[in-house]
Amino acid sequence: MDPDLPGWLAALPGVAAVAQRAQALWVEAPALDPPAMARAMAERGIRLAAITAIPQSPDGETTILYHYVTPALSINVRTRTRNNHLPSIAALARPASWSEREIRDLFGVEFDGHPNPVPLLRPAGFAAGMLRAAMCGPTAPVQSPTARTTP
Amino acid sequence: MAYTFPLGPYHPALEEPFKINVRLNGEVIESATIDVGFSFRGIEALAQRRNWIEVVTLIERVCGICSNVHTTTFCLAAEAIAGIEIPPRAAAIRTIIYELERLHSHLLWAGLGAEDIGFHSLFMEVFTLRERVMDTLEAISGNRVNYGMNCIGGVLHDIPDPAAHLPVLDVLEVALARAVVPVFTRDRTVLARTRGVGLLTREQALEWAVVGPVARASGLDLDVRKDAPYLAYAALGFKSVCQPQGDVQARIVVRALEMLESTRLLREALRSLPAGPLRATAGLPHIPAGEATMRTEAPRGEVFYYVASEGGGGPSRVKIRTPSFVNIPAIEPMLTGQPLANLSIIQASVDPCLSCTDR
Repeated sequence: MDPDLPGWLAALPGVAAVAQRAQALWVEAPALDPPAMARAMAERGIRLAAITAIPQSPDGETTILYHYVTPALSINVRTRTRNNHLPSIAALARPASWSEREIRDLFGVEFDGHPNPVPLLRPAGFAAGMLRAAMCGPTAPVQSPTARTTP
Repeated sequence: MAYTFPLGPYHPALEEPFKINVRLNGEVIESATIDVGFSFRGIEALAQRRNWIEVVTLIERVCGICSNVHTTTFCLAAEAIAGIEIPPRAAAIRTIIYELERLHSHLLWAGLGAEDIGFHSLFMEVFTLRERVMDTLEAISGNRVNYGMNCIGGVLHDIPDPAAHLPVLDVLEVALARAVVPVFTRDRTVLARTRGVGLLTREQALEWAVVGPVARASGLDLDVRKDAPYLAYAALGFKSVCQPQGDVQARIVVRALEMLESTRLLREALRSLPAGPLRATAGLPHIPAGEATMRTEAPRGEVFYYVASEGGGGPSRVKIRTPSFVNIPAIEPMLTGQPLANLSIIQASVDPCLSCTDR
């Protein structure tokens, strides 16, 4: 790992903390400026691999994790939506386009400034956020590993 | 006069349902847009309702071709959260299944690619070879697809007689080296339909963030097996295959040469299979609260998982980003300026997996 990388990440606008666990860096950035991050990552040649959304409540905010990768390392930048909105980075990082469209379909997060905010996975007749209520917080497994009974 | 032509979502040229809307001027494609989502099953939502044993079975259904890739990556992520180090024999067996799956996936692609350019005899030759790989997977796991090999902490099935599978590798290596690779790289019919077709430059590959053989065929030497070795790859001395041309032909060459590297890896892994247990843990897995990301190199490229646990009976979040999810959008720049007749082989050259993409 580039020894300068944690310090460089800590200096990004809105970043509060950087920690290393296993082969990954975890960046906590509640006040993240996503376009500034996307521009900085692109300038350094760090690739966006994926974006994960974790809804916190049916009508509340959503945790967003931007997963960047170098050849040998994952960099996970965690932030939160503001009124379930965030600035889009799709115009700055092409792989963000489909990820942001999918997150809007499933969780209703609005990525402001997305160049083509049309449904990706959502069938006609379903509203944005179609799985938000179903995927909020931890869900009890339908059946525990020890709950089976022998007939 | 410009007009629009829709390919799909159901079409003989497509392995699975997706739609390419191309705007044409005469026979030349001016632009293209892609629609997916026809196979959406909500697997990430279902994963939050399964326990740590059942979810492995569910994850195996993300893809019908690279099913083992998904369970391997998911199990590695869960093991990273729990700090479980799997035994060397389990790591070697996972590697063997992983490379057998790559062989059958690449051979599937080679057959369908041959069919897409009307080379029916090559399709039959390639699919005959693929049957040998499928037979080997069935002999080891009992299944031709969805092998059920992985569990959190190791593997469920042993390979008691690894030497028994070496002769198949000899057959594959000879057929690949003497027939499949030469035909795909030197035959005039294949070259006429693939050389200079569907270009994706190195700069475009970086811009669209493609992965796997699509990236390596555009000169980007990205391969998780080399860059961040997992399972037994570091010990086996993996060598990545890279081509600079960025056309359909380069994607074919990368996959063809990767098949030869896979047979070499398989031979090494089978000959050096270490002794020892198959699982690091006994009984039910306990995954404490935590989170992990994991990357492995699927046949179509880097697959990325984010798994979170709150210490309960099952995962609290599973995020799956498959290689096709980032490779399929790059079909759009490949198509610009191409004749309509090349649409079929260009989209096929990405080896798009829609079951993976839609999940």
